[in-house]
Amino acid sequence: MKYILPAMFILIIACALFKKVRPYDAFVAGAGQAIPFAAKLFPYLATIFVLTELFERSGAADAVSSFLAPAFRLLGIPPELSKLVLVKPFSGNGALALLTEIYETYGVDGYIARCASVIYGSSETVFYVAAVYFAGAKTKNLTAPILISLFASLCACVFACFICLVM
Amino acid sequence: MNVIFALCFSVCTLILLFTDPDGALAAMLSGGEKALALTLKMTVIYAVWLGIFELAERSRLTEKFARLLKPVNRFLFGELPEKANEYISLNISANMLGMSGATTPMGIKSIRELEKYRNTEYQIAMFFVINATSIQIFPTSVLALRTSLNAAAPSDIILPTILATAVSTAAGILLVKMFLRKKRK
Repeated sequence: MKYILPAMFILIIACALFKKVRPYDAFVAGAGQAIPFAAKLFPYLATIFVLTELFERSGAADAVSSFLAPAFRLLGIPPELSKLVLVKPFSGNGALALLTEIYETYGVDGYIARCASVIYGSSETVFYVAAVYFAGAKTKNLTAPILISLFASLCACVFACFICLVM
Repeated sequence: MNVIFALCFSVCTLILLFTDPDGALAAMLSGGEKALALTLKMTVIYAVWLGIFELAERSRLTEKFARLLKPVNRFLFGELPEKANEYISLNISANMLGMSGATTPMGIKSIRELEKYRNTEYQIAMFFVINATSIQIFPTSVLALRTSLNAAAPSDIILPTILATAVSTAAGILLVKMFLRKKRK
C-alpha cells in the first residue's frame, strides 16, 4: 500500500510533462485555492467544536448516553459502548479517546474491545463531514441526508456488535 | 442545524451554570483552539492535494480516470455533468484507498460543481451520504492503536470493519434512493 502514493505522484508528473503542461504554474494555481477553502471552513469547524466541547464538559454526553443505553441494548449494542456510538458522529478525536479508554478498561482482545474497534472503524464523523463539505456552499437543507447518514451508521454499529459475536 | 445548535447550546450552558460556571467559557475557547489547529492542518493538506490535483487535471489524467468510473457513478447518481463526474470519481476512489487527505478537497469541489446546476439535490444528498458513511477499506488508526497495546491479533477486526462499513454505505445508498429520488424532475 505504501508504494501507491509516490507511484501515483510520479505518474502524474510524467503525464504532465508529456502533455507539456507547465507543472510549476499548475501546482501554484492549485495550492492557491487552499487558503480560501480553509478560510470558509474555519467558522464551521469552530462552531462544531465549541458545541462538542460544551456537550462533553457539561456532562450532557454522559447523561444522553446512559439515557439511550437501554434502547441500544435492545438493538444488541452493549451499554459500555453507547457513549462511543454517540460521540463518533461529532468528533473523531473524542471517539478515539473513548476507544483508548475502552481498551484500557476492558482489555484489547475482549468482545467489547473488538466491537468498539469495528464501530470506530466503520462509522464516520457525520456532523464534521457535513460542516467541512458544505462550508460556504449554497445547499442549506441537510436534514434528510444527515438523518440518513446517522441511521446508516447506527445500522453499521448494530451489525458490528452482531458480527463480532460470530467472527 | 439551527435547531440542534439552539438546543445543544442552551441545555449544555444551563447545566454548566450550576455544575461548573467557569467551565462554560473555557470549554468554548478550547473548542475554538482545536478548530484553529485543525483548520491549519487542513490548509496544508488542501495546498498539497489541490496542487497535485491541478497538475493531474491540466494533463487530462482526471478526465481519463473519470471515464473508467462512469458506470458506477451512473448507477449511484444518474446523469452527471462531466466535471462533477470527474471530481466525484476522484473523491470516491480516494475514500476507498483511505487517502483521507485527498478526499476532502475533492469532496468540496464536487459539491461546488453540482451546485452550479439545477435539480441536483438528489446527487448532492447521495454524494454526502456516501462520504458520511465512510467507505474506507483499512481502519489504519484502530490497527495502530491495537498493535501498540499488544493485542493478540490486531488485524482480526479488519474484515468485520469492512463488512460493517459496507452495511452502512449500502443502507445509506438505499435510503437516499428510496426517500430522495422522487424530488428529482
